[in-house]
Amino acid sequence: MIINGSPRAPKSNSRKYSEIFIKYSKLQCDYFNITKSNHHELIAEMEKYSDVVIVFPLYADSLPVGLLNFLKNLETNLPKNRPVISILINCGFLEYEQNCVAVSMIRYFCRHNNLPMGSVLMLGSGEAILDTPFRYIAVRAIKRLSESVNKRNYKDLTATMPLPKWLFKMAARSYWIRYGKKFGVSEKEMKRMEIEGNM
Amino acid sequence: MSDRPINVKIGENKDIKYIDLSSMKIANCVGCFGCWTKTPGKCVIRDDAAKVYPFIAESSSVIYVSHVKYGGYDSVMKTMIERAIPIQQAFIRIHQGETHHVQRNVATKDAVIIAYGNTDSEEQEIFRQLVERNARNMNFGKYEIVFVTEHEVEKTVQNEFKKWEK
Ligand SMILES: Cc1cc2nc3c(=O)[nH]c(=O)nc-3n(C[C@H](O)[C@H](O)[C@H](O)COP(=O)(O)O)c2cc1C
Repeated sequence: MIINGSPRAPKSNSRKYSEIFIKYSKLQCDYFNITKSNHHELIAEMEKYSDVVIVFPLYADSLPVGLLNFLKNLETNLPKNRPVISILINCGFLEYEQNCVAVSMIRYFCRHNNLPMGSVLMLGSGEAILDTPFRYIAVRAIKRLSESVNKRNYKDLTATMPLPKWLFKMAARSYWIRYGKKFGVSEKEMKRMEIEGNM
Repeated sequence: MSDRPINVKIGENKDIKYIDLSSMKIANCVGCFGCWTKTPGKCVIRDDAAKVYPFIAESSSVIYVSHVKYGGYDSVMKTMIERAIPIQQAFIRIHQGETHHVQRNVATKDAVIIAYGNTDSEEQEIFRQLVERNARNMNFGKYEIVFVTEHEVEKTVQNEFKKWEK
């Protein structure tokens, strides 16, 4: 079972990462998004699987609040059959280490609720990597994650773009300029220092 | 800024703002990046969060009061923190040896985080690491974390507040 914990699940990077995971999985994979109102359904569903992979982005150095709310619900309605929980977390910044705190939070959650923890993949540069020549690095890591869950040979994995920080900074600049262009917003406008109405 | 009501007397001082998030209507961030690319500096969701993040940006001293869950902020505070990303730009800078976002007009802050609940030592350790990371993303110059039980919150806030009045 794959659970996407991104607030923009249908259009998320986490969804693309989930699809890659499924492509390489030999186990049957069923995919679900977390919504505000489907927590109980998801929890009932969890019961049927040996493994659950939660795929989600880093939000403000920790778990997106929608995922946090789901975990709080899960804690009070734990399934009788406890699946192994693996995670695939991605963050926007280059350093995959920035995901460590969120991973500790999931480990803490699992330990306190007697849910066995499986594999962990921490991805850095996750906002953009799939659209770059470094796509293969993310794909390779997700394939390894998928294999580790298949074989129940759980592992801690990491991946990011092999770029020096200054080059990542430049690449990010062009990425965001292109993003802004879609809305007709220039780099200068995006660099506006004012917040809200303080023009 | 607190995730529950707190009895503090602010008096006439216009430089001090008390925000009780629990009394506000704040939706979850939907991750659209509109605040970076469509309407820079403004969230496209026009609820109470848009009234809060300008104060976060402006303040040079903050006291954040939050319940702790799994070693992180509980939902009310976390929701607001996620909604505060309009105060940053999409663009990257290298800050303390790591890639982070460029801040808009955001004052460097002295932050006191009052983290309450029945936290165990493991949760406290995760929370310390979290705030250490936050410091880089949320422009903290100095910060201090105070772990307390729920019934000590009010007294702790009042103590911290007295330090401001000096
Ligand atoms: C509100 C918000 C907070 C974020 N906080 C962080 C962060 O603290 N560190 C980081 O590296 N990326 C952060 N990001 C970037 C996301 O982790 C990144 O864009 C990710 O690829 C989104 O994945 P998704 O499309 O699956 O949601 C944040 C994004 C948003 C919208």
